[in-house]
Amino acid sequence: MTIVVLEHITKEYRLGEHMVRALDDVTLSIESGVFLAIAGPSGSGKSTLLNIIGCIDTASSGRISVAGHDVSGQTPDQLASLRARTIGFVFQTFNLLPVLTAAENVEYPLLQMQELDKEDRKERVQEMLELVQLGKFAKHRPNQLSGGQRQRVAIARALVTRPELVLADEPTANLDHKTGEGILALMRDINRKLKTTFIFSTHDKKVIDSADRLVGIEDGTIRLLGVRKEGQWAITNLSRKGPAQPAKKSQSEEESNA
Amino acid sequence: MRLDLSLAARSVLRQRRRSLFGLFAVAFGVAALMIAAGFFEFNYDSMREGVIRSRLGHIQAVKRGYLESGASDPFKYIIPETSEDRLLLQSAPYVTVVAPRLSFNGLISKGESTIAFLGEGVDPVPEAKASSFVPIVEGRNLAGPDVSEVILGRGLAENLGAKVGDKVVLLATSARGAVNAVEVTVSGMFISSSKAYDDFALRLPLGTAQALLRTEGVHSWLMVLEHTDRTEYVLKKTEPKIKSSEIDLVPWYEAPMADFYNKTVELFSSQVGILRVLVAIIIVLSISNTLMNNVRERTGEIGTCMALGDTRRTVLRRFIVEGAVVGFFGGIAGIVLGLVLGGVVSYYGIPMPPPPGMTIGYTARIFITPRIVFDAMLLAVVTAFLAGIFPAWKASRMVITDAIRHGR
Ligand SMILES: Nc1ncnc2c1ncn2[C@@H]1O[C@H](COP(=O)(O)OP(=O)(O)O)[C@@H](O)[C@H]1O
Ligand SMILES: [Mg+2]
Repeated sequence: MTIVVLEHITKEYRLGEHMVRALDDVTLSIESGVFLAIAGPSGSGKSTLLNIIGCIDTASSGRISVAGHDVSGQTPDQLASLRARTIGFVFQTFNLLPVLTAAENVEYPLLQMQELDKEDRKERVQEMLELVQLGKFAKHRPNQLSGGQRQRVAIARALVTRPELVLADEPTANLDHKTGEGILALMRDINRKLKTTFIFSTHDKKVIDSADRLVGIEDGTIRLLGVRKEGQWAITNLSRKGPAQPAKKSQSEEESNA
Repeated sequence: MRLDLSLAARSVLRQRRRSLFGLFAVAFGVAALMIAAGFFEFNYDSMREGVIRSRLGHIQAVKRGYLESGASDPFKYIIPETSEDRLLLQSAPYVTVVAPRLSFNGLISKGESTIAFLGEGVDPVPEAKASSFVPIVEGRNLAGPDVSEVILGRGLAENLGAKVGDKVVLLATSARGAVNAVEVTVSGMFISSSKAYDDFALRLPLGTAQALLRTEGVHSWLMVLEHTDRTEYVLKKTEPKIKSSEIDLVPWYEAPMADFYNKTVELFSSQVGILRVLVAIIIVLSISNTLMNNVRERTGEIGTCMALGDTRRTVLRRFIVEGAVVGFFGGIAGIVLGLVLGGVVSYYGIPMPPPPGMTIGYTARIFITPRIVFDAMLLAVVTAFLAGIFPAWKASRMVITDAIRHGR
């Protein structure tokens, strides 16, 4: 089953006089339940791609479908509702609301779900905080938490609506290496436990190995696709012109925290 | 909604200094408005009470048409001094006193000088309660209902050259058309809130006046109530019970003499209206400035919330509520400030020169009514709400990706 389908997606930004092409004819489909890394250097278009998948940005051309919904031509309110129910976000800078406690931050996305009463919400929030091992920090404000703890709260917030898809744009970039690994391991755990699809971006080669799918992107185009089976990466190189390059195998390191 | 309020309150508290600035601007405006309105209110109130408790009473019972055309044919509008109807009015709720009056014109002379006067025959005991705003400034009040005494308006006494204890002669045309005279002693002098009145007016005991005019009746029964607010209520209660088909009950605000008061209120109200506009502008500017800064500063948060699924309407509502919260608490602070300042100013009083048409200066105070408080609060909340619309709209129209990236 596929959860995301992108067909010939192009995204252009106007920068003064000229146009910047952030994505150039990207076609990709993503299976449900994968733990997918989008890798590429800074400025390659990772964020743009994630934003378009997350329906917080629209493509200049092409077709997108997310969780069975054809996104093209939907109104801002329809997109908001789609995001609220099927997509969770984790940001590089955590983006918690500073005036809310950890528990309130986690509860926030549930507030627009009319079908949940206060008790349901409380229960889910507690469940999520336990899941990210922050049960004891429910009453803490973001500024009383470390970076890693904040990102855990953000993960709990992303998951609390039981979305089909979680998007994480460089979730470890603002964390030290060890904490970052912990965050990825946690996401990986949840991915396995809850079968939630995770798509995260990174420009750090070291984090790629916790993924089971890889999309390499450069200058707005997909350059390689990887699938990992039994610790082995099967990589397909793509180039802009010509057919796919012969596959190259690479040895994966042992999963560090999984 | 509760969440909106709680979020708004927390956001307001988060930017204490900026919020305080907005809050102070609102509070200052509200307090200024209350003080100004309270000052005018005091003046209306004094003017109104002055005319009621000297000339009009709260409700006058008169023969139909008397107030409009009584001056040209006073004897046509005589009503009995007392009747079932008068007793009925006397026993109505909130009535302090019902005082009969007989009004007439004539000439007063002392020695060589003779001048015209406007006379009122009054029953001294109830009249003392009815005319609480007509102080005796020299001598004493009338001693009884039939004594041969008169009290003069101070202006009239001055024009005539009369002093307390002097004997004066009053000339008037009687009911039968003959000219009658009576000699009376000046027992005192009074002033009222109107110099024009004091220059011509005199008052004498009802019995003496009736003898002079050869009539048994009076022109009006003046009802004075415990409080001016009760006028309409008492009118509604008593009007249907009046037996005599000739008698009209005229509330003070419908009497021709109240015209001056009504016009003044109108004039001052338009001045308060201008002030209201100025205060509204202050509030709009300060709140929209506060909110614009909040929106700018929280751009990243707005983007995050929208990514999490908040609709534009939710974002719009959040910021509007935030503005309204500042307006509300600013309004509350302003009311407290206004009441305190008003209290202090009233405690010391503002010495005022005699207004046009009056004889003496007075001490103005600030008289803040519940209505004034309500209006000021309403203005604060409504304008704060309106001031929030534009910043909130800006917030709700943000491009999500730009907003999230903002400040990175
Ligand atoms: N809002 C924008 N306006 C103009 N150019 C943009 C905007 N967002 C991204 N870009 C450009 O698009 C390209 C891809 O950016 P981005 O997707 O953020 O890359 P990455 O996340 O891989 O670093 C870059 O050249 C960037 O400058
Ligand atoms: Mg990026």
